[in-house]
Amino acid sequence: MRTLDWIVLACTLLSIILYGIYKGKGSRSLSSYLLADRNMRWYTVALSIMATQASAVTFTSTPGQAYADGMRFVQFYFGLPIAMVIVSITAVPIFRKLGVFTAYEYLEHRFDLRTRTLTALIFLVQRGLSVGITIYAPSLVLSVMLGWDIRWTSTAIGGAIIIYTTFGGVKAVNWTDVQQMLIILSGMIIAFVMTIALLPKGIGFVDALRVAGGMGKLNAVDFSFDLHNRYNFWSGLVGGTFVALAYFGTDQSQVQRYLTGASIRQSRLGLIFNGIAKVPMQFFILLLGAMVFVFFQFERPPLFFNPVEVEKVSRSFYGDEFRSVERRYAEVSSRKAEAVRSYVEAKRGGDAKLIEDAASKLRSLSSEAELVRNEGIAVLRENDPSVDPSDTNYIFLTFVIKYLPVGLVGLLFACIFAASMSSTSGELSALATCTVVDIYKRHIANDGDDRHYLRVSRFSMALWGVYAIVFAQYASRLGSLIEAVNILGSLFYGTMLAIFLIAFYVKRIGGTAVFWGAIAGEAAVLWCYAFTTIPWLWYNVIGCGVVVASASLIQILISGRVTPASP
Amino acid sequence: MTHDAPRDELAEERPPLFRTWRRLYTFVLAELALLIILFYLFTKAFA
Repeated sequence: MRTLDWIVLACTLLSIILYGIYKGKGSRSLSSYLLADRNMRWYTVALSIMATQASAVTFTSTPGQAYADGMRFVQFYFGLPIAMVIVSITAVPIFRKLGVFTAYEYLEHRFDLRTRTLTALIFLVQRGLSVGITIYAPSLVLSVMLGWDIRWTSTAIGGAIIIYTTFGGVKAVNWTDVQQMLIILSGMIIAFVMTIALLPKGIGFVDALRVAGGMGKLNAVDFSFDLHNRYNFWSGLVGGTFVALAYFGTDQSQVQRYLTGASIRQSRLGLIFNGIAKVPMQFFILLLGAMVFVFFQFERPPLFFNPVEVEKVSRSFYGDEFRSVERRYAEVSSRKAEAVRSYVEAKRGGDAKLIEDAASKLRSLSSEAELVRNEGIAVLRENDPSVDPSDTNYIFLTFVIKYLPVGLVGLLFACIFAASMSSTSGELSALATCTVVDIYKRHIANDGDDRHYLRVSRFSMALWGVYAIVFAQYASRLGSLIEAVNILGSLFYGTMLAIFLIAFYVKRIGGTAVFWGAIAGEAAVLWCYAFTTIPWLWYNVIGCGVVVASASLIQILISGRVTPASP
Repeated sequence: MTHDAPRDELAEERPPLFRTWRRLYTFVLAELALLIILFYLFTKAFA
């Protein structure tokens, strides 16, 4: 990074922190601090929802995922618009009419205190684990940029986020989310345009699409049903709907966003906007990754995208061996680049035989390059058996640092930081709200005044921030970050979703049955995780199904009659 | 810890551009169907 990049990055981050502090002024009551006085317009709610969901992982890992695995990950989002409609119809009016601070507060109205507390604790465990990963991702960026130890970078970033979230509360979170989302969107659009502009002379956008498609990277939709295929249309539509329903209907970090809406209408419109915009946005980010892949078909990619690991092995006993593999990889990459050009020419000509010949040669060279790359990774592992063999998270960053012009590098890094701040701040405020409203106020001290709870909320916000930093120190071996976040969610979301679905739709089931049903559901999901190879997207479906089935059974056993619904 | 919801929240307000919420929801689902079809055609066109 050059001086101009540092200036752009520093100015952007400083403006976010100052804007957050400015907008958070006047948060002097609990309602103001935790729900922004419930006066947000729909566009603020919408952008805050999107910004909270779009963590830094979205921009460090998603393009890398398209590079390595193609665009099929977009199918994971197919269930989201359906979930937005269901949440708008069901959850929004109930939460708003009861005037709750948290989603779990509603469960005490519907069932009992025990079920509310259990669900709140599940949320605190699940979200508490993932907030560490949310801080870890941008820490990784800084450690790559500066060569600093990741422990120092995560502490520095987490500390900055704690300052403005603790000071400004949810008002600051929501308004900075809007600012951050605008920075993120503009940064991604500029990155996309630059990627196309940096393709070799004579290679246009359509050529790039042909190359990406020919090499299997534009696999956006796959209708074949396979329970063990992680991303296809069916797992995306069914599993994705369950994940999104759980995330937006039961996860306080999202519920809190739309609870700040000025009315049911404003909250609903915020969700619906997300339902309309999210799928195209993810498609666009994955397409950016596919274009970066095409760029590296012409420009020689590094053998391994993690520069820290490459530096480490280069200085070790295995340095000469690794450099030898690097030379071979460069040679294969150079031949592959020629094959890609031939493929483009053949596609332009339209001759089926020439296309097949060029594609066949390209496939053969791609396999050869992959074999050489695997040899390089094997050398890395010989040097350090604990090395993470996945470099997906470094692909897009390598492209940004090495090839984008001065100034834009700073802007793109600012985007990643903005994304991290938006999601982390939303999660911290949700964790603090749940801790204070569902646990502290309900179980520990229920006779305090508003100022007391406000002070405790600020303290809780800071404490969760410190916890997240500590957790981030240990998150470095979780593979592709975006998957790690989603897998963590899936271990708990099915159970939480089932509790809320029963609360909303199955009036005959009471608190005791749903409590023990939830315990059974969570046990089933953890068993699947530990002892089966079932893909994680299905955990939500399994957990939800087990909770509903066992709660229904328990209800029949304990009462043998219909339990009247709570008002 | 609950509050009385503002009175205007209890009334079902119309969404912008559409006469009813049902039509807006139908639009969201139709957009999803259209996107899936377009993505599928995109996949096939460049495979």
